[in-house]
Amino acid sequence: MDDGVTALVEMIGVSKSYGGVRACRDVDFTVRAGEVHALLGENGAGKSTLMRVLSGDVTDYRGTVRVNGSPARFTAPVDAQRAGIAMIHQELDLVPDLSVAENIFLGREPRTRLRTVDRRRMTAETRRLLARCGIALDPRRPVAELRTGEQQLVTIAKALSLDATVLIMDEPTSALSPVEVERMFLVISELRRAGSGIVYISHRMEEIGRIADRATVLRNGAVVAEFDARELTAARAAEAMVGRPVQAMFRARGTEPGEELLAVSDLAVLPRRERPGRREPAGITLTVRRGEVVGVAGLLGSGRTELLETLFGAGPRGRRLGEVRFRGRPVRPRRPRQALRMGIAFVPEDRRISGLAIGHSVLANTVLSIVDRIALAGQVPRRREVSAVRRIVDELKVKLGSVHDPVGTLSGGNQQKVVFGRMLLTEPELLLLDDPTRGVDVGAKAEIYALLGRATEQGMGILLASSELAELIGVCDRVVVLSGGRSVRELDTRAVTEADLLAAAMGESEAVLAVEAS
Amino acid sequence: MTTELAPPRRRVELVSAIFRFQSLFGLVAVFVAAVAFSPRRNGELVFLSSENLFNVVRAVSEIGIIAVGMTFVILIGGIDLSVGAVLGLTAVGSAVLMVDNDFGVLPTVVIVLLAGLGFGLLQGVASAMFGIQSFIVTLAGMQIARGLARIWSGGQGVAIAYGDGPGEAPVAFSLLGERTFNGLVPIPALIFIVVAALAVVFLRTSAFSRHVYAIGGNEKAARLSGVPVTRVKIAVFAICGLLAALAGIIHAGQLNQGSPNDGFGYELDAIAAVVIGGTSLSGGRGSVVGTVAGALLIGVLTNILRLHGVDSNIQLIITGLVIIVVAGLQQLRPGA
Repeated sequence: MDDGVTALVEMIGVSKSYGGVRACRDVDFTVRAGEVHALLGENGAGKSTLMRVLSGDVTDYRGTVRVNGSPARFTAPVDAQRAGIAMIHQELDLVPDLSVAENIFLGREPRTRLRTVDRRRMTAETRRLLARCGIALDPRRPVAELRTGEQQLVTIAKALSLDATVLIMDEPTSALSPVEVERMFLVISELRRAGSGIVYISHRMEEIGRIADRATVLRNGAVVAEFDARELTAARAAEAMVGRPVQAMFRARGTEPGEELLAVSDLAVLPRRERPGRREPAGITLTVRRGEVVGVAGLLGSGRTELLETLFGAGPRGRRLGEVRFRGRPVRPRRPRQALRMGIAFVPEDRRISGLAIGHSVLANTVLSIVDRIALAGQVPRRREVSAVRRIVDELKVKLGSVHDPVGTLSGGNQQKVVFGRMLLTEPELLLLDDPTRGVDVGAKAEIYALLGRATEQGMGILLASSELAELIGVCDRVVVLSGGRSVRELDTRAVTEADLLAAAMGESEAVLAVEAS
Repeated sequence: MTTELAPPRRRVELVSAIFRFQSLFGLVAVFVAAVAFSPRRNGELVFLSSENLFNVVRAVSEIGIIAVGMTFVILIGGIDLSVGAVLGLTAVGSAVLMVDNDFGVLPTVVIVLLAGLGFGLLQGVASAMFGIQSFIVTLAGMQIARGLARIWSGGQGVAIAYGDGPGEAPVAFSLLGERTFNGLVPIPALIFIVVAALAVVFLRTSAFSRHVYAIGGNEKAARLSGVPVTRVKIAVFAICGLLAALAGIIHAGQLNQGSPNDGFGYELDAIAAVVIGGTSLSGGRGSVVGTVAGALLIGVLTNILRLHGVDSNIQLIITGLVIIVVAGLQQLRPGA
């Protein structure tokens, strides 16, 4: 095991239970200086709990934690930070109304001699940190104005500012575009060279293959496998995580595309009020045929989400140029309700923010879009809604106790399936999907891909926006590349590699980034 | 399909079932205390006499009806501070229309209810379509309703005398101060019970109520799920205004007058009843059953203190403390 390299952190026999549920069982885990240690497992496997023990967030655990060889028992995250351990959470813990700089230095603002906050130093320091992460942002901008991906980069900058020797990154790339992922990898390599240890949690196997030195796989709270990164393959990792061989990840192509379902030509939106951080369509042309999955690729801020929102009638009010034809007729949904009536459905990017009422039951969440359609004289027949939900929940293989449980008790992948189920109950013909597998574990991912396959077999058309290149290539028939709100390329996925796709997306990216920075 | 999920499920279910009816437990506890501490007359418990019990219901009927409307507003994550002033406005309107304008009971009631509905509707439009927070909109609405009430009444209470002559209200209106079922059940209490029952059923089974809960639970998700958010919000404020007007009519009938200062502070009593009833101020969770229990809890408490002749200032203090205790208990609820 220990080949002379110093262990920065050793966790020995760590166990933690919530009520009767054992989240971690007797876990051994070490982080050495100068290594990236990947932590893998399905949602609910115990990764987060283990890392919360390490970062001082969970204090009532059994077992031992050693930092630089001496036992430590943190009573609060601050203790862990003092010991040089910092965590970047999956949920972005930023204060939306404070600026980038204020967030980074929250609670430890630099002071002037008069004990007032030294804004100039804070701003300059922030600019330096952001530059290290490869982003050009005005440190004085409120975080609320930034896109999710930009916010994620700010949390990384914040962690860097703590000068931690052990950095825990929980799905740091889930909202990043390929270019930003590259930048972040550079930051990670730099940290590794400087002797830091990094715990890297991700569902993206290709990233782990590239960046990690070692990988530990958790299942049901226990360590089930340890790999040297060189011998790690996606299939082996997936098998260890799920506990059985996983069938083909991506959908088998073969559906013969049918008639044209959606035709977008020169679509542009001039919003009545400009909203910061948004990139409205500025010239998009694409088509989707029945039985076809068309991908939408593009960097952060290229306007992927905004395109889908516009097609769904969920964009800002304003003037619309160009034309959208759906089933041959020109359409212009002004509200999601209208779009759903036409047969257009949308699965949003962030299920917690825009997908689900987390405290409400699976039933209430799933049936929401059709609740007034199945109502008789304004009343919802109990039996009908329950049977509709049971049917779709079974069909999508949602793992749950009862449809009356709060949807927040389900795992991420199952929550996502609930959002899918709600949309499928409306019997749509066109599915607009915005990063539908973000933060979803391998098993659930495969099921979602299978679900897309079934949907296309039934004659639906799918427009799939994603930040994952492998997903775009594996799932889509064609990929439309967006840049700066315009469609710049269209690629056939049968004849394209991830590198080609990245190059196409980046084609104009440097110019775009320069514009954003100014 | 049933696998995983925590083993102590059963216990969790039991606990959450208990907490679901928490507002009722508070009511039961206060009720039991009231029985225990009830003064006796001729060996009978005064509190438990049917006359006294219906008095409790009558005493909370106006607040209770308002609180039912308030429940809808709070469920969508809003608040309506105008209801007390709307009660004043509609009480004045009832008196003036019958006494000064010689309107019959039915036209008066219809006009006044429509006025309340319209007032709520406009507040809903301001809040939902122009995106102004309901707290601000209805705070302004409160001022406007009070101003209108003062102008309409000439600045003072309008007394209602009953008879057939000019300047007299139809005798039928005085029914609101009477009792039915052999002089046992006060009419206002009956109206409250009917309104509450209708609201309970409506909120349980209607598609509209699903939209209400969804908006309170996650407005953005509701919109993206095809819920007509703006329309539902406007309707909710209209319902609240309508019920405030109904309470205003009852108020005028019980007191035989309409004064522009009527209903002062009622909005806060109504909010208290809703919160005691377990409805979350952040929206998306709660029930009319809870609200009714909350209103009755306050009513029983006030009643028993009054039967003992407790000083009214002390009454206020005790009521305040009980509200804090009950609201504090809500925090124990799983997932709260």
